[in-house]
Amino acid sequence: MFTNTLNRKKFPRAIVFFTCFVTAVPAYSSGADADPLKELSKPRSVVNIGAGQLFNDNARFGQYTGLRNEGPYGIFNVDIAKRYDDTGTWFKLLGRNLGLQNRDVRFEHSKQGKWGYVIDYSQTPRYEPFTVNTAVTGIGTTDPHIPDTRTPGNPAQLSTERQSIGFSFNQFLPGNLEFNLHFRNEEKDGSRIFGRGNRLGEPRLSGFDGRPSPRAVGGYEFIPEPINSTIRIFGASLDYVGKDLQLSGGYYGTMYNNKNALLTPTGGSTVGGIFSPSQYAPIALAPDNESHQGFLSGGYSFAPTTRGTFKVAYTRATQTDSFSPGLLTAPGIGANLGGRIDTVLAQTGLTARPLQKLSINTNFRFEDRDDKTPVRFYNPMATFHDLNGNTWNGLNNPRSFRTITSKFEANYTLPHNFRLIGGIDYEHRDRTGTATNTSHRFRTDELFYRAELRRSLSDTITGTISYIHSDRFGSSFLTNTTASGASFFNLIAPSNLADRSRDKVRFLANWDPIDSLSIQVSIDESIDDYGQRPGSDLGLRKGSARNYSLDATYIFSERLQATAWFSRNETHIDQASRNAITDNGIREIWGSNLHNIGTSVGMEVTAKPTDKLETGANFMFADYTDKFNQKVSLEPQVNIVPNISTQYSSLRLFARYDIRKNLGVRLDYILDHFKTNEWTWTGWRYTDGTTLTQNNNQMVNFAFLSVLYSWQ
Amino acid sequence: MLTIIKIRQIAVPGLLAFILAFIIAVLPQPVSSAELDDDDDDPPQDLILRGDGKCTACHDENSDNPILAIGKTKHGTTADHRTPTCTSCHGDGGSHEDSPDKALMPQRTFGKKSVNSIEDRNSACLACHQGGKRMHWPGSTHANRDVACTSCHTIHTDQDKVRNRNTQPEVCFNCHKEMRQLINRPYRHPIREGKVICSDCHNPHGSAGPSKMVRDSINDTCYTCHMEKRGPFVYNHPPVQENCAICHNPHGTTAPNLLRTRSPFLCQQCHEPNTHQGSSGTLTGAYARNTLARGCANCHTQVHGSNMPENIHNESVFQR
Repeated sequence: MFTNTLNRKKFPRAIVFFTCFVTAVPAYSSGADADPLKELSKPRSVVNIGAGQLFNDNARFGQYTGLRNEGPYGIFNVDIAKRYDDTGTWFKLLGRNLGLQNRDVRFEHSKQGKWGYVIDYSQTPRYEPFTVNTAVTGIGTTDPHIPDTRTPGNPAQLSTERQSIGFSFNQFLPGNLEFNLHFRNEEKDGSRIFGRGNRLGEPRLSGFDGRPSPRAVGGYEFIPEPINSTIRIFGASLDYVGKDLQLSGGYYGTMYNNKNALLTPTGGSTVGGIFSPSQYAPIALAPDNESHQGFLSGGYSFAPTTRGTFKVAYTRATQTDSFSPGLLTAPGIGANLGGRIDTVLAQTGLTARPLQKLSINTNFRFEDRDDKTPVRFYNPMATFHDLNGNTWNGLNNPRSFRTITSKFEANYTLPHNFRLIGGIDYEHRDRTGTATNTSHRFRTDELFYRAELRRSLSDTITGTISYIHSDRFGSSFLTNTTASGASFFNLIAPSNLADRSRDKVRFLANWDPIDSLSIQVSIDESIDDYGQRPGSDLGLRKGSARNYSLDATYIFSERLQATAWFSRNETHIDQASRNAITDNGIREIWGSNLHNIGTSVGMEVTAKPTDKLETGANFMFADYTDKFNQKVSLEPQVNIVPNISTQYSSLRLFARYDIRKNLGVRLDYILDHFKTNEWTWTGWRYTDGTTLTQNNNQMVNFAFLSVLYSWQ
Repeated sequence: MLTIIKIRQIAVPGLLAFILAFIIAVLPQPVSSAELDDDDDDPPQDLILRGDGKCTACHDENSDNPILAIGKTKHGTTADHRTPTCTSCHGDGGSHEDSPDKALMPQRTFGKKSVNSIEDRNSACLACHQGGKRMHWPGSTHANRDVACTSCHTIHTDQDKVRNRNTQPEVCFNCHKEMRQLINRPYRHPIREGKVICSDCHNPHGSAGPSKMVRDSINDTCYTCHMEKRGPFVYNHPPVQENCAICHNPHGTTAPNLLRTRSPFLCQQCHEPNTHQGSSGTLTGAYARNTLARGCANCHTQVHGSNMPENIHNESVFQR
């Protein structure tokens, strides 16, 4: 296997040498030639081994594969399957990307219909696409040191990596029973972008009692978050599968363990006194937590066309990670949060056909997520004014949710293979909570009405046209107040709570004008109209989404076929907010029309010019544009948010030549292009001097040559 | 340059796979009964499945509908007494067999020109594959939208595209075309790389959760990988507890961190325009802090919740 430790200049020669060596090795004859039936009907195993050269450094193409730095990489895949026909025993080994950093291995050993087990391993890197240029030291630790003034830094690459190992086992038991067991352990390590900040400076307006005004400049520091945690998921179930009745009952458990409980940065800016960034330490990291669920689900066929299903589950999730010693906590809050959430789920569904042409489908789901975390007085200082002049109650804020959804759908068969479908869905949500700095309502209800005409059995054309209308409404919004009872703003209906009317139409058609040509058209459009708080027109106002797609597949011959597609997606959000008090004392209402437009085209051609040669090409191009369209009158010159445009294109070519029946050579080539004018980090410099940069035009070439060897 | 640790990370799984491959390859395979059969061709000899002789007499690999590859699959494991015969799925082929030009089709077919109802076609699969992960198929969105099992699954092959992590999304995109666009956006899950695939989050056969989530809720599904977001925390951010999808689009976005919209616009869809919260987007001046870099999260770093019990600088503002 090649690694990128090889001398780059010598690498192309190494590929050639390797390929010649493997192809020159005499073929192992498995006897397949002597038995065509075996060749056609017995499991086949393949090993694919080779090497490739990445010709360009990049950040995007290799974000999740590790193919980031120019140089050689190993290609190694295995797909091995062996079956003992007399016993039905299988051995399967699947290894994917074994020469790269995103490798998977899956081993399965089973006696079909008796027992089986699977062991798997997966490695997933994630490289931050932006390069960090920083003088912060201690990256990846819980005690990084932050320069107290702007300091030039060095490039650093943040990344995380997940490595998981899983095991599962199943055993068939007498009486149509099956026992299942599964366990997964995933380690995640690395570091990611994080930080702290606050606004600083002298007050410019009266009434702020020495606190920085909203327009004050800030102090912002780059603090990489260290990642070192473990996720464990495990469970067992006993399943019964009878002719009419099926049941599955068992246990599902999860555990999260974070080895970094607290981030304790040292250094940092002291400019700003008690509001300076350095005062924001230590910083709590994600706490350990776990959940345990018992469940029972099942299905029963009352009659050939009448079937019911259900699931009931009870879950207890807890978070009792100890608060780090040394923290200044209020009296009486205990050593940990004592977090506990109990969730009850009950779901049932029924499908039936009371008449030959009429079928119905109903579903009811109840979920009660009861947050039983004790409420304690965490913050005795909450009654003092904060930066914005507000006061708070100092209590933690557990939230409980109860959701009830019910669905009813009727499906009636019409002449000429048409079917008419009508449905009504209802969703009811109860939420606990208080109204403080955001608006709150205890209840929302949403009603959906759906009508659909479908033609699903036809030689040449099938399709669906549907219309959905929904209305969301709910209880009155609470009046937002601070802890002292002072009135707060009551202007925004949050996006998940706001009244909303939605209309959606959808059209999907499959047309096969001739045997060799298949065309698919998909169009959908939805329009949202949001309600606001009484007396306000701020927040979400309107939204829309449109999707158009056209796909075509043409089969020129058994040896040549092509697929082409086009998709366009447009979303639009109209929303408004209000600026802070400016020097002229005016709070200006401003709006934005947020547009997101995506256009993609793709084409794929596969050809087999000869019995030994197979080739293919796959091309894809996508263009994404975000438009922000702000309407700001007071200071339009500083309130321009430029459009962001990103193009992504990919060309993949391959050619495979079979030297012998069980030996082939494959050449792959990938051209990947990422181009953007994204300004997320452009012009941003942390107070400590850290900047983040990326190459806005990344062109990558990756070519690899591999050998495929197969046997039975 | 790779470090020793990295080389070990690459080498160990590769070596393990290679050793296992070698062991499996050299294990002796008993000769099957089929291989011992002589070329006695009257009546037609069963080649793979019980009673398949009258089918395989015509449907070899040279026919328009080759079927022998089913022998490579678990359906072709005849030692398992549960495996089907041809007629288990296709019904009686008597009229088809007797039809001189094969104009009459078997009782049940699954191709594009099938005249069997979707329900009838699926009943062939559900006769065995009921329960377990398919418990909630009846009444599921796919069942109600006339999706046939064979719309996604290919039976007569050992390479079912929808069960391969590299190719599964292509199958789903045949209908879910908008997703084809989303997965290529600048901020995305590693779907193209096959590290996160549709069925990691969705059970296409139906579930007790919304949107066919593999767990009972959207959040519970997200927690299978992002368990650090579960809390509960001393200070909870209510939408985080309610539904991750209020702020995130897991299929891909043009805003960082899979956010539906950039800061400050996303945050302003809920937050009152108290002071700086209502500022318009800008790349210059003091309020650039709300738009550039991590946006509002430049200061409110703990947006998923804070478990800091200390009473300084953290009251409902998620700064520590």
